[in-house]
Amino acid sequence: MLAPQRRPRSSSTRSMTPSASRRARLYKALFENRTPRRGSGGIVGPQDWLLYPALLAVLATLVLATDLPLPFGLDLPEPVWPVALAFAWPLIRPSFIAPVLLGLMGLFLDYFWGAPLGFYVIGLMAVHAATLIIRSYIVGQDTWVVIGAYTLAVLLFFTLGVIMTTLDSGVVPRLISVFEQMLATWCLVVVVLILLERFLNSDVRFN
Amino acid sequence: MRYGDNQPFEHLKLPITWGVMILVAAICVVAALLFLGDRRGGLDAAAYGNRAGFDRAAAKSNNLLSTPAHFVSDRTNGIEDYFFAVSENRVLKQKIVELERYRDEYRKARELNRRYEVLLNLRTEPEVESVSARSVSVSRGPFNNNRLIDAGSSRGLAFGNPVINEHGLVGRVVGVSPDVSRVLMVTDVVSRVPVMVARTDARAMMVGDGGGFPRLEFVRGGPDVLKKGDQILTSGDGGIFPRGLPVGEARRGVDGVWRVDLYTNRGPVDLVKVMKFKDFSQLPRAEEVLRTPLVTDVLPPPPPTAAATTHSASVSSATVSASGAAVSSAASSASPVTVARPRPTPVSSPAVQTPRPQPVPAPEAPASASSASVSGG
Repeated sequence: MLAPQRRPRSSSTRSMTPSASRRARLYKALFENRTPRRGSGGIVGPQDWLLYPALLAVLATLVLATDLPLPFGLDLPEPVWPVALAFAWPLIRPSFIAPVLLGLMGLFLDYFWGAPLGFYVIGLMAVHAATLIIRSYIVGQDTWVVIGAYTLAVLLFFTLGVIMTTLDSGVVPRLISVFEQMLATWCLVVVVLILLERFLNSDVRFN
Repeated sequence: MRYGDNQPFEHLKLPITWGVMILVAAICVVAALLFLGDRRGGLDAAAYGNRAGFDRAAAKSNNLLSTPAHFVSDRTNGIEDYFFAVSENRVLKQKIVELERYRDEYRKARELNRRYEVLLNLRTEPEVESVSARSVSVSRGPFNNNRLIDAGSSRGLAFGNPVINEHGLVGRVVGVSPDVSRVLMVTDVVSRVPVMVARTDARAMMVGDGGGFPRLEFVRGGPDVLKKGDQILTSGDGGIFPRGLPVGEARRGVDGVWRVDLYTNRGPVDLVKVMKFKDFSQLPRAEEVLRTPLVTDVLPPPPPTAAATTHSASVSSATVSASGAAVSSAASSASPVTVARPRPTPVSSPAVQTPRPQPVPAPEAPASASSASVSGG
């Protein structure tokens, strides 16, 4: 009796270490196995890629503003969450709802953080408009190009913030603090990549 | 028939990108108008008036989030206290012995100081009531440094009240709703605090820049008025803050600018105390306070030197000759300085309350001498 033949393992699986295999499975679970969330009728509605992320951004802002004393004198980070959305939304697709939502989120930040009214609205709109202009050059490019473009968008946002603060108060804000918040906001590039992965090609009608 | 064949405008595509850009531009214009019309830099009560409702709602939600965190933190601290109680008790007993000596010294110094104040009829600041509150929300970014605290106008807080904690000055109240107040931190870019150097009494302005180390600007005095480690206190100038609140220590930054290492950086700003201090109008009986003589008037004058007397007499003579014959020659030849100064109010007992200064009647003969001294000095 012949012994049952084993299926030959693929070259990629054979060469993988266990940790690499775990990472691959994790990547697959995150980005490949998941089907895009569908609204009613199999269409990705505005609530999926606009409303829910906006609500999550507001919620994250509220949570991170909690006055929690951390050990070693550290504080919770304070990234500007809507910047990630202002960059990701025009890449997913141009929308009339997105700037309105961004304007509302900017007003929320103005009120919540005690900034002059319109301060964060202008910054978010600048990022949104700039990304919309270069959209065709970014979509479909390598991940590193997206990350580079997001870095420039964050730089644009905080440069505008420094200029407007200087105009408003006559004092240049401390650049080390600006850099700290810029770094925290840049770390949201993960959110941008997840949003693009989930929603960029989910609606074939637009493409 | 294929889908879309019955649509006559099938090939007429809406330029959605341009449409979105127009919408973005419109929102930008509205935001720019809002930004230009905002009066946050003016730091007046009306500028924050429309934010009271929002602050109230935001503080409620943040209170929900911070309450469980504080609960867990308190329990953790309780367990830690339980395990380290014995060693801590030993250290505290030693501290009590040491502090009792300071307490006795303090009582003696306070009593002596009170006597001096009574003797010199000095103007002292009244006791200021305070309200404790908890910080429920914070914005720590470079552009805005604010806090929401869970006490408002229902507990008597008002716009402009100074906020301190156990370490030093935190900021001031810039927005009040019934249950919640917004505190502008001294590190905010629009914060300006008049301060003084405790060692040299030099005045300066502490300007926030969004970091933890505000800048010292407009430092009055020579180059030696400020040294590293000098204690910085509020000066009370302008009546915004009471005099003498501890702020921090002077440090020179890497950029060569003098900065203040805030005492509040030494620990979390969790519980704060809001002082119900408004301005100089809180001083009792302002009309009497303003009649209080200056300390330099009360103290005995320095002995005049011969040259100074000659100069004073010559100047007085010149003034008299210029003003005509109304002033007698006795006025010009007398030493008017001692005559013109008001006498301190006699104090019978140190236990007596601060005597209210009585209007000093103008002496008959030296009236002209007074004018001579003024013109001569």
